[in-house]
Amino acid sequence: MCDTEVFNAYRHRWWDMSQRRRTFISSVGTATAIGLAGCLGGDGGDGDGGDGGDTDSDGGDGGDSGPAARVGMVYATGGLGDGSFNDQAQTGAIRAADELSIEYDESQPEAVQDFGSLQQQYAQSSNPDYDLVCCIGFLQADALTETAEQYPDQNFMIVDSVVEADNVGSYVFGEHQGSFLIGLMAAKLTSQDFSAGAGSTQGDSASVGFVGGVEGDLIGRFEAGYKAGVKHAEEDVEVQSAYVGDFNDPSGGQEAALSMYESGADIVYHAAGNTGTGVFRAAQEAGRFAVGVDRDQSVTKADFSDVILASMVKRVDNAVYTSVESVVNDNFEGGAVNTLGLEQNGVEAVYGQQLGSEIPQGVKDEVSEVRQSIIDGDISVPTDPDNA
Amino acid sequence: MSDDGPSRNGDDPPAPASDDRWSQYRQRLIRLGQTSVGERILIAVSALLLSLVVGTVIVTAAGLMATCRSPVLSFGSTTLCYDPFYVFNRLFLGALGDPFTGGWSPLNAQFAATLRETTILVFTGLSVALAFRAGIFNIGTQGQLIIGALAAALTVLWAGSLVSGTIALVLFIPLGLLAGAIGGGLYGAIPGALKAYADANEVITTIMLNFVAVRVSLYLVRNHFADPTSQATQTRTLPVEGQFPSILFDPRTDFSLLALLIALLFVGGVYYLLEHTAFGYDLRTAGIQPAAAEYGGVDSARTILTSLTLSGALGGIGGAVFVMMTLGKFQTGIPSYGFDGITVSILAGNNPIGAVFAALLFGVLKSGSNVVAFATNVPPQLVGVLRGLIILFVAMPEFFRIIGRRLARGQRDRQATATAGGGADD
Repeated sequence: MCDTEVFNAYRHRWWDMSQRRRTFISSVGTATAIGLAGCLGGDGGDGDGGDGGDTDSDGGDGGDSGPAARVGMVYATGGLGDGSFNDQAQTGAIRAADELSIEYDESQPEAVQDFGSLQQQYAQSSNPDYDLVCCIGFLQADALTETAEQYPDQNFMIVDSVVEADNVGSYVFGEHQGSFLIGLMAAKLTSQDFSAGAGSTQGDSASVGFVGGVEGDLIGRFEAGYKAGVKHAEEDVEVQSAYVGDFNDPSGGQEAALSMYESGADIVYHAAGNTGTGVFRAAQEAGRFAVGVDRDQSVTKADFSDVILASMVKRVDNAVYTSVESVVNDNFEGGAVNTLGLEQNGVEAVYGQQLGSEIPQGVKDEVSEVRQSIIDGDISVPTDPDNA
Repeated sequence: MSDDGPSRNGDDPPAPASDDRWSQYRQRLIRLGQTSVGERILIAVSALLLSLVVGTVIVTAAGLMATCRSPVLSFGSTTLCYDPFYVFNRLFLGALGDPFTGGWSPLNAQFAATLRETTILVFTGLSVALAFRAGIFNIGTQGQLIIGALAAALTVLWAGSLVSGTIALVLFIPLGLLAGAIGGGLYGAIPGALKAYADANEVITTIMLNFVAVRVSLYLVRNHFADPTSQATQTRTLPVEGQFPSILFDPRTDFSLLALLIALLFVGGVYYLLEHTAFGYDLRTAGIQPAAAEYGGVDSARTILTSLTLSGALGGIGGAVFVMMTLGKFQTGIPSYGFDGITVSILAGNNPIGAVFAALLFGVLKSGSNVVAFATNVPPQLVGVLRGLIILFVAMPEFFRIIGRRLARGQRDRQATATAGGGADD
C-alpha cells in the first residue's frame, strides 16, 4: 500500500515537473521520505496498535485534529458485560466519545491488588497523556488514595466512594432520594386495590418490603430513603426489611421475599444485585410486585417485566460523562464530592416497560410532585435507616 | 501397522499387535520420564513456542471477528482488531518491564508486580507439591491460604493494639507468619485427620473446606472484624510494623524482597525436608508405595496427618504474606493463588526447586495480563485463554513424564518380583 503511494507521488511529480529536473529529483526525494515516514509511522502505529496512540500518530500529519481529551477507564472487578455497573460506566464513556469527541482506553482488572498498578500505568503514561482516569467502584478507593498522592498532577475520578485528595473528583449518588420516590409509590399502591400484569395487591393489608444485599452505608441509603418515602405517603404502612448478606444469592433473595409476601407485603424493593433476581421470582410465584434497582430491570430482566413496577436507576454513566465533560470544559474540580441526586439526574425512578402504563396517574403525579419537592429542598431525605 | 491388516483373519485376535504398539508407547513414555534436565528445558521451550503459535492463530481469529474503533490492520472491509505479536510482546516483555528498551532497571514496577505474584505462588506451589509427594491430592490450599491470611491479619491487628515501636518492628512479621502457618496448618490438619483416621477422600474434603473457608472468613470479617470506614468487606489496615518493608523496590509496588527471600528459604527448607530427612523419606515412600511403606515401618496415618498439616501451613504462610505484603489488610475475594498452586506444582514436577521457576512463569503471565489489559483492547477473557494455553502446553510433557516414571517404576517392580520368583501381581 505504501509502495503504491510512493509510486503515485513519483509519477505525479514526473508529469508535473519533468521540465525542472533538479526540483524533480529533490521532490521525489521528499516524497519518498514522506512516504517512508508515513509507512514507518503507520507500521509503528500497528505495532503500538493497542496503546491507543494510532489516531494521534496520524494526527501528526493531518494537523491538530486530536481528541478533546483522553480518558483512562479502570473498571470494577466484575468486568464489562456484567449488565449493570461496569456496562453503565462504559455507556457514559461511549457517550462522551460520541458527543465530546474524546478518546478513551479501558482496562478490566482481575483482582483488588491490580487496581493500584493500572491506575499508576494511566497516571504515568505520557504517550498518550491521560487527562482523566476514571476509577469505577468503591473497592478502588484505597488504591486511589495512594495513587492520587503520588501523581498530584493527574486528574482522577471515582464512582461510589469519596477519596479526599485535591486531584480526585468523587461521585456518589443520592440513592436515598430515588428510593424515597419508590417508597412513596409502593405505599400508595399497597393502600389501594391495584392489579396489573401478573401481580395484584391485597386490599386488606398495607405492607411493603425491602431486600438488601450486604448491610452497609451504601445499601443503608437505599433502605433509609425507601422507609422515609413510605412513611411520607402513608403513616401506617408497615415496612419489612431484610438483608440476605450476599449480592449474588438469588435463592436467598427468593426466600426472603417470599416470606415477606406471605406475611402480607404487596411490593418488595430490592437493592441486592443478582440476589434481586430471586425477589422477582418470588413476586411471580406469589402474584405480587417487585421493584428493580440500578438499571431499568423490566428491560434487563425482561422475563420478569410482568411483576416489575419500576426501577430505581442509578446513572453511573452520567457520573462518568459529567466528569469527562468537566475536564473537556476545563472546569474539573479536584477534591469535590459530587452527589448525583434527583436534581442532577444521577438517580431516577423509572416505571416498568410493561406495567408502567397501568400505574394510576394520580400516583405518578404525586411521585413527580414529591420529586420536585426533594429537588427544591422542601423534603430532606435521611440516609441512615435507623433514622428513617 | 499396515501389515497387521491382511494377517487379521477371522479367529486371530488382534491383541498381540496392539499390545506391541502399546508397549512401544510405554517405552517411549518411560524414556520421556528419564529425560535429562537439558532435554526437559528444550521440551519446555518448544512447548512454549508451540503455544505461542496456537495463541497467535486464536488472537488473529478473534481479532478478525471482533469489531473495534481503531483496528490495527484493515484490508478492504476486513479488519484485524488485535495484534497478536503485540499481545505476546506485552504479556512477556511488559511483565518484565521492557528489558530491551533503554534505561531498564530490574527494580521497575511491573517486574515488582511479577515477583509479587511469584512470591505467593511459590508458597502455594510448595504446599501442593509437599502433599503430592506424599501421595495426597491437596486441592484445599486455597482454603488454607484464606484461613492463614485471616489468622495473620487478626493476630497482627491484635498485637498492634498492644505494642508498637521497635519491638513491633521485629516482632510483627514473624508473628504474622507464625499465625498464618498455625491457621493454615490446623485447617490442613482437618482433612488430614479425616483421611488418616476415617479414610475420607481428601480430594472431596479439601474442596469442600475451601468453600467453608470463604464463608467463615466472610462471616467473621463482616460481623466481627469489619473496618467501619470502608464499604468493602475488610479488616482495618495493619500497622506499618506488620507490613513487609519494601527493600530496594518502590514501596508503592507492594512487593518486598524480604518476602521473596523468605519464600526461597522455604523452598530450600522443603527440599531439605523431602530429600535429606527421615521424615521426608517416609513421606516420599508413602507417596510412591503406601503399602510397602507401611510394611517398612512407616506410620501411614501419622505421615498423612503431618504432611497435610505441613502443606496447610505452607499455604497459610502464603496467605500471611499476601496480607502483610500485598494488601496490608484482609479483604474478602482472595485471588485463586491456591488453585494456581496446583498447576505450579505439576509444572514443577512436584519438585520444590522447580516450583520457583513454575511460579515465576505464572507470575509473568499474571502481571503480564495486566499490561495487556492496559495496552490493548483485547478482552481479559481472551488473555485468560492465552494464559491457559501456555500453561497447558508447558505442563503437557510433564504429565507424560509423570506417567512415564510411574510405568518405569511398575516395570522395575515387575522385574523385581519376577526374579524373586514371586507370583501373580496382575
